[in-house]
Parts: sequence; C-alpha cells; structure tokens
Amino acid sequence: MTSRQLGFLFLAPATAFIIVLFLAPVLLTAVFAFTNMSTATGITGGAWQVNPGAMRRLALEHEEPQLAEALQVQVFAVDELGLERLIQEGQPEALIREIDAELLGQSFASRREIARALRALENRPRSTREINALASTFERSLVGNRYESEQALFDAIAISGFDLNADQEQAVAEATWTGWNWTTENFQRMVSLPDNRTILLNTVFYVFTTLIIFNTFFALVLAITTHYMPERAAGVFRSMWLLPRVLPPVLYVLMWKWLAWDTGFLSSLLGYFGVAPRNWMLHDAPSAWTVVIMINGVIGASMGMLIFASAIKAIPQPIFYASEVDGASRWQQIRHIILPQLKWPILFITTYQSLSLLTSFQEILLATDGGPGGATEVWALHAYHTALSNYAGNLSYGYGAALALVLVVIGVILSLAYLFFFDFKTLVRPPRIER
Amino acid sequence: MTITRTATRLSLATALLATTGFAAFAEDYTFRVWAGGSGPVDDYRTIAIEMAADILEREAAIRGEELTITIEGRTTFDGWDDFKQAITLASEAGDAPEIVVTSHTDIAPWSQAGIIVPVEDYVNLDAWPLNDIFPNLMGIGSFGGTVWGIPQDSESRPFFFWKEHMRAIGYTDDQIDALPAAVQNGEYTLQNVLEDAVAMQEAGIVEPGYGFYPRVSNGPDYWQFYLSFGGTIEEDGQLVFDRESMQNFYQFFADAVDAGITRQNHIGTPWDQWYAEVASGRAGMWHGGTWHYARYTGREGLDDFFNTIQFTLIPAGDENGAANTITHPLMYLITDQGDEDKHQIAAELVTIASEPRINTLHAIRSAHLSIARSQSDIDLFANDRWASQATERLLPYASAQPNNTDFGAYIDVMWSNLEATWTGRKTAEEAVADAEAELLATLGDAISIR
Repeated sequence: MTSRQLGFLFLAPATAFIIVLFLAPVLLTAVFAFTNMSTATGITGGAWQVNPGAMRRLALEHEEPQLAEALQVQVFAVDELGLERLIQEGQPEALIREIDAELLGQSFASRREIARALRALENRPRSTREINALASTFERSLVGNRYESEQALFDAIAISGFDLNADQEQAVAEATWTGWNWTTENFQRMVSLPDNRTILLNTVFYVFTTLIIFNTFFALVLAITTHYMPERAAGVFRSMWLLPRVLPPVLYVLMWKWLAWDTGFLSSLLGYFGVAPRNWMLHDAPSAWTVVIMINGVIGASMGMLIFASAIKAIPQPIFYASEVDGASRWQQIRHIILPQLKWPILFITTYQSLSLLTSFQEILLATDGGPGGATEVWALHAYHTALSNYAGNLSYGYGAALALVLVVIGVILSLAYLFFFDFKTLVRPPRIER
Repeated sequence: MTITRTATRLSLATALLATTGFAAFAEDYTFRVWAGGSGPVDDYRTIAIEMAADILEREAAIRGEELTITIEGRTTFDGWDDFKQAITLASEAGDAPEIVVTSHTDIAPWSQAGIIVPVEDYVNLDAWPLNDIFPNLMGIGSFGGTVWGIPQDSESRPFFFWKEHMRAIGYTDDQIDALPAAVQNGEYTLQNVLEDAVAMQEAGIVEPGYGFYPRVSNGPDYWQFYLSFGGTIEEDGQLVFDRESMQNFYQFFADAVDAGITRQNHIGTPWDQWYAEVASGRAGMWHGGTWHYARYTGREGLDDFFNTIQFTLIPAGDENGAANTITHPLMYLITDQGDEDKHQIAAELVTIASEPRINTLHAIRSAHLSIARSQSDIDLFANDRWASQATERLLPYASAQPNNTDFGAYIDVMWSNLEATWTGRKTAEEAVADAEAELLATLGDAISIR
C-alpha cells in the first residue's frame, strides 16, 4: 500500500462522518426546502383522497365547482355490481337473495344508513365488522377514502358513475393528491413576511452581542486574569467557569428561571429594596435579551477562556521575564505580547462561536421560547417552531427547512468573510525559513 | 392492495372472515395509548381503555376465544406542542401509538396524512353507547362526512369572577348571582371587565396586573375573544379572517395591558403559579376551563368554590359579537398501525371506554362535562354540582374550533400577533396587517379575508 492510499484510508472514517452527519442533513434540508411538506402531506409519499381541502382546490384552483360538490356527496347504492361482487366473495346465497329482494335499487346517504338497512335483514352477518364490509361493497362515492394510486382513484370515480374527461381527471388527480409537491413558494413567503425581517435582525443582534461581549471579550478577560493568578487558584477558577457548559441545558436554564422569575431569587432580593417583583426573564424585550445573552454568553465564555488560556501558556515565558526586566506594566504585556499572539485563537473562536450561536436555540427555547411577544425569537428557533411545533398538529417541514437553509447559506458566507478578514492565507503559509 | 378503506380491502377481510368465521384462536395484542393535554387527574383517559380491554377479553372468552390485550398508557408530555410533535414524528417512523387521545383539530391534517383511520369503518354508530353520545360532539369528531374519532370528553371555557373582590367594588350578592344572565344577554361585556378590573386595582383589592388574569399560553380560549367581537373562524369549509373583529380582540388585550390590569409579561407565567394565584383570590377576573374546577378544589385547596367564585360565558366584546364559549373535546383516534384486526379491536376498545359509567369516572375525576345523554342518569354525575351547573350554563352556547387542515397555520398567525400586541411590540393595527399578510402568503385561497 502506498502512502497516498494509506492517507485515503486514514481519511475514510472522517469522510464518512462528514457525509453522514454534515452533507446528508444539509442536502436533505435543501431538498425539503423546495417542497410544501407538512404533517398533512407526509414525508414519504402520499395518496389520493377526496377531502374538504381537496374539493376546495378543485373548485377554486381547477375551476370545477360543480364536480367538487358532486364528489363530496356520499352514496351507498345497492346495485348489480355490488351483488356480483358478493357472489365472487362467496357470501351466503341466502344473504345475497335477501339483499336482492329487499334492497336492490335503493340508495343511502351514509355508511350508517346502509348499515342500518343491512342489519334489518334476517340473514345478516352477526358482526359489526362484516356489516361494515358489506356496506363498503356498495359504496359509490369517494368521500374520505384514500387511494394509493391514481388508477385506483379513476376506477373508483368510474364505479361511482362519474364520466370525466381527461382534463377533469387530471384536475381531480392533482387536487386530491395528499402528498407533497415541489415549490419555491417557501422562499417567496419568507421574503414577503415582515416578521422575518424582525427575526433576522434579532438573530444578528443576538449573535454579535453574545459573541463580542462574552464569547470573545469576556473570555479574553478570564484567560488573561487567570494567567496572572497562582496556578492552583487559576485552575479552580477556570473549572468553575466550565460548570455552565457541563450542566445539562434543562437544569442550567431552570436555575436561571429560579433566579429571574417574579417569585425567584432576584425579585425576592430586590423586594427588600422596595423593587416590585417582576419576571426578569420575560418582563420586556431588554430584560429578556439581557437574560438570553447572559445564559448563552456564560456558556460560551468558558470555551474561549480555555482556548485563549492555553494559547497564552504557549507564549515562551522568557518573553514575559524580558518585558518585566524592561519595566513593562501588565497592560503593556497584554497589549504587546499576549494580544498579538492570540490573533489565530480569536479567529477560531469568532468563527466557531458565531456559527454555533447562529444555529443554537435550545437555551432560548427553554428560557423565553422566543418571548415576550416574539422579542427574542431568533432564526434557528423560528425554524424549529415552524418545522416541529404546531398547536393543531400540522408541522410545516418544508417551510421550516427553507428557513434552516438560510442559516446554512449565512454560515458559509460568514465563514468565508472571517477567513478573508483575518487573512487566513498568512496562517497556512509555510514558515519563512522553509520558503 | 390499491384501495385503502374501500371495497377491496374490506371485501377481502369479509371473505376471510366468512371462510374462517370466529373460530377459537389465541390472540395477543398490545395497544399503546397516548393522551395529550393530561394532568394527574386525567388518568382515566388511559385507564378507561384498560377497563375496556378487561371487558373485551371477557366477551371474547364467552365466545370461546382467547384474547389477551395489554394496554400501555402514557399521559405525560410537555404540553400540546410536544405531544403532537411526538405523535407526528412517531407516525412518520411507522411507530405511532395505536390509540391517541387528542384534539379534534388534529383530525383534518392527520386524516389527510393517513396517520389515522376512520373509526366509523369499525363500529356500529347506531348501537349503544355510540348512539347515546351527543350528536354535536359526534359531529366534532367528523371531517368531510366521515366519522374519524369518538369523543373522549367534553368541556367548555368559562369566565371566572372572585366574588369577594366583586363585592368590594360595590356588587351586591344579587348582582353577582345575576352575572351569568347579564353576560349571556350582553349586558355585561368585556368593557365592563376592563372597568371592574381597574376599579379593583384602584381600590387596592388586587395588585397591579392582577385585575384580569388570562390564560398564560396559546390555546383555543383566545378564539373566544375573537368570537366575542363578532369574528368567524370558518364558513362553509373555508377559514375566515375578519379584520375588524381580530383588531378589536387584539386591542382589548392591549387596552388591558395599558390599563395595568394585565401584566405585559403575563404570557409564559408558569402554570403552577397561575393556578395557585387564581385559586387563592390574587386575581379579580380570569378565564379558564371547566376542568379547572378539579385543580382549584383539589391541589390548590379551595374549599368553597361556589361561594367564592362566579362563572359565566365569555362576555361579548361589542355589539357585533355575543357571549360565547368554546368546547374543545378530545377524541379517541385510531392510528394506522398494524392490520385491520388491530384497528377493529382498537375501535371496540374506545367504544367500550365511551360507555356512560366508564366515561363518568373521567368526567367527575377531572371535572369535565359529559359526552352522552345518559350520564345525567348516573348518580356520580348527577350528584356533582359542578358537572350539572357547568353543563347547563355553558354547553348550550358552546361552539367548537373547525376541523380544517390549514387551521394550524391560522392558529400560529393569530397567536404570534396577539403576543406581539400584548407585549407592545406591535399595535393592534400593525398586528392585524401582519397577520393578514402572513395568512395570504401562507394559505392563499384557503382563507377568506374580510
């Protein structure tokens, strides 16, 4: 095996992970985004069904109001066709003779009515299930039935006595299709809605405020202050800052709720100073944002702290000694030794954390759920709400995926911008000595 | 198999049955029953199915069949959204529970998706106990002319007044007793609610933000206020967005916040806190559900409900609307899991579980209303003051939300814009304009804008 082949072999597991865990979800999101997929349409396919929504489409979009009205009428007709079918099924002769004599030519407006008539027969079957099956033999309408193929739909239409031309058949097939269709409407809808602009601005505000204040600046403060602390104390201090990251999010946010609710710690404490209790988490937009940013920022700061602290540790100690001999102050050490060495860690943290903040929503979901009044609804949370949460049981997978796809696009653009801004080429350039 | 639920499949089943009959056989079935929106007192939603399984096993034994049914009930979910997400995703994975207890509004999307099968294919609607169920409730379980679900319970959503606080702002006992009638005939309106709540707060009887203390989360309750201002939700199968009614409804909540009788940050208040507060007289007026009675008098320890709290319909908002209430009955739905035999047994189980005596256990334990006429003949039900009074005062005026595939999208738009108005992020006018734009973009012809 050549070293090149060996290289590919070593890369294979990582490649497989990237395909399964990154490329496949992105591709599926892109595919879903161009569909009108929802709970009602299902994901894996569809059928043909005459239901009120389908008939409204047939009447309005396909301009067949009379046909739509006719198709919605439920009919159970005792006819020769049904009797023949009973013979084929091997039903008892006495029953068939009785149906022929008593019910042939009669028509019923519902399963309940025909079942009632069948139950009045002397030779009737003795179970509800068989009676219902008998009734179905005489069903001459399509209402509520699911047909697994277009042909089955057309057959049922023919048996029900409708004589449709090719255009009408096509219209009925299109209107009654329950599955999803390809569409670009999700994107038109996304652009046209005023709320989406607000949500986008919320997202920009949330990502950059958290990123700048906590994930980068505060992380730097933590890293630098712990750098100047005795080793053991610094270790304890850093471990404490790691706690929010290692706590399960549900527990971590619950503790914030205890802190911020109007019956919580903060309100109780401020009560002694005459401040009326309030739900600091949901009081108004500024207080909700403060809490949301702090919840995420405190988690995010710990990661930056670790990266920056280890980068500072990698700076050769003699440089610090030399600067102290030259009489440099702490601030001058930070300004002229530490910060210049942290350019690449800052690039990494900025890139990684902004992408992470862009797509993470679980803490906001648990804390404010986007409230109050949608004030803290960010794009990823909105995509989640759309795709996976609906009070009436109809989740909008397609539109939700379109919203999620926007995040993928923004993520890629942001990454490229960061690489350009931080001059990534210089980072990967070989050392001068090798040139 | 090309046609589902039509001649072929059922004929095959009949042919099979005709040849084999109900010969003695040993069958083991496991049914998972998931019930949404259920608290600790709603356990009879699944226990009723366990009781039905016992009866069905005994019936089978008498016929000489060996039938063993195992019921796995689950009632703990984190709210309706979580429950519906669980059901829909489990269905997509082909692993849904066989029986679900859920809102009737799920019937439209779930029947289109093929998640559920029509219960009318497996039951005798003319036989007891189904022919004893109120026809309007059976209608709520129907969609497009087909009966998809059997009502599991019924309820309605009253407006509540804390009597002592009403007395403190000058109402006499007679006036308080006459409130249900005054609300019903439109003499006492939502405008009076605003005025009385302000009076309570100005007199220092309740704290700021506690004069009118509404539901803390999205729910059918809020459509009642749209109806109070003359709104129509659906007409002839098409959803309706009535601009003026929606704006007046939004404005009412904005006014309540402006007047300081409702907190701007009220939405999202924890339910436990909310129940404890309304059941202890911290709030002057509020609205809830008939099942709240069980919580107030149970876990919250309210001793004398009838002398402490008055309940009425939701008052009219203006001359366009009327006092009303919404009933949101839950349904037993059979999912398309397993074969026809399994659907059949599931249907028989929910039928038996709907027998008056069994349903009454749920109704009284959880303070729900009855689903069938003869429940009023059962002592447990007839002797319960709340069940009989609430039924009489509220149910005749109750309407239901529509069964419409697109209603879920409408709910989202209504709620998000109400929230935005409530919290002051939008004016009522802006919220209605945004709602209209979103509904047009989302639903197009499926909604009529007036």
